Amino acid sequence: MGNRYVDLGLSAPVNVTWEVTYTCNLSCIHCLSDSGRKGPQGLTTQECLRVIDILADQKVFQLSIGGGEPFTRPDFLDLMDYAHRRGIVTCISTNGTLITEEVAHRLDHPLVYVQVSLDGATPRSNDAIRGDGSFLKAVRALELLGRRNIGLSLNTVLTCLNFPELDQLSGLAASFGARLRVSRFRPSGRGKSTWSELNLSKQQMLDFSEWLNRHLEVSTGDSFFSVSSEERRSLGLNMCGACKLTCCISPLGEIYPCAFLQEPEFLAGKLPEDAFAPIWDKSPVFTSFRQLEVKSCESCQRFNLCHGGCPAVAYNTLRRLGLPDPECLANCITVKSMPPGRGDDHSYTPRPLHP
Amino acid sequence: MKQGKFYRLQEGVQVRREKFGLLFYDYRGPRLYFVPSGDLIDDSFFTGRQTEQELIEAVTAGQPWNHRETKGRVVQILEMLEEKGLVHGQPVC
Repeated sequence: MGNRYVDLGLSAPVNVTWEVTYTCNLSCIHCLSDSGRKGPQGLTTQECLRVIDILADQKVFQLSIGGGEPFTRPDFLDLMDYAHRRGIVTCISTNGTLITEEVAHRLDHPLVYVQVSLDGATPRSNDAIRGDGSFLKAVRALELLGRRNIGLSLNTVLTCLNFPELDQLSGLAASFGARLRVSRFRPSGRGKSTWSELNLSKQQMLDFSEWLNRHLEVSTGDSFFSVSSEERRSLGLNMCGACKLTCCISPLGEIYPCAFLQEPEFLAGKLPEDAFAPIWDKSPVFTSFRQLEVKSCESCQRFNLCHGGCPAVAYNTLRRLGLPDPECLANCITVKSMPPGRGDDHSYTPRPLHP
Repeated sequence: MKQGKFYRLQEGVQVRREKFGLLFYDYRGPRLYFVPSGDLIDDSFFTGRQTEQELIEAVTAGQPWNHRETKGRVVQILEMLEEKGLVHGQPVC
């Protein structure tokens, strides 16, 4: 992908991750946003419509919708219809439990992609992470969606528990006409407390990198760019896209660099009340993030493949930006953790803008 | 009388103007295309309100010495976009 053009600075994000609710009818032990049954009140329908207008006016091409479980919002399908009328492609991430025949019918639109979360190839392995009964409901959703002409993926957050089931998950996805998408487990939300329990071992990460090379049909949403090899390079970015190609909007309308950095120190503004363009162009948080350099990685032979890896994993494990992703392939072999303060002058610890 | 072709976006393709030129998004994939066209072509060109010939005339207005080079560059970009399935040309009837 054209990194040099991205580095010139885009006029707006290509893709915005929008978590439309904190409410969820499941309680997955690794949930990135700590969502649950009673989330805080999010944006109203009218506010959401204004957010869509703002993003459409900025010519944002794509919304990656998540939560919480988006379908717990009674107005969710109406919001998606409106986004499509404004020409925005929507990629909806769901646990599948609320997908009915009627919902699948309404999702049958050329601008819709759906990814159904499944974190194990069997009820036993999946439900240990996502809760009792969630496997069968997700499979039912895949059946309903797979019968229609909807861009469909089965999304798995990779953990040490489901790592041995990747081949089975790939086969399961194919049986519904879906593609397997593997997402990286990151220590945010409830993932902070389950990180040490669920994260891959270094050997598993190395093995996974090789597995990915043998399965170019598996998508990763660029979440494994830090462990990608030359073979997968043409499939996506080789750097973090936060504040360059993408950003995140929380259920409250708060704007952050990415879904895994929803901390007060990364809050850049709030929709719909703030103007989006100035936040994207020159907010201190976004400007600093774009200038982030992991100097200590620059001499590494893999630097051109990863540029220091995922800042969110580095920040959430080391509490500081500008340090190497502790799970990049080189670090998988050599570095377990680095104490705070071991960065160089180019590291960046943001300050709260809205105390 | 108008000459040349109009160009419109293929279904599912969007475009916007960027510093380097044009950024195309194709929802089949989805995939991005970075086109370093500079100031030659505005994204509004693909609404079909202007022909290729009119675009070249507008870009080279007052600079006849640039006409040949500009025309070659515009034609090359539009052919490449059509080849990648991002736009389709329609002859003026």
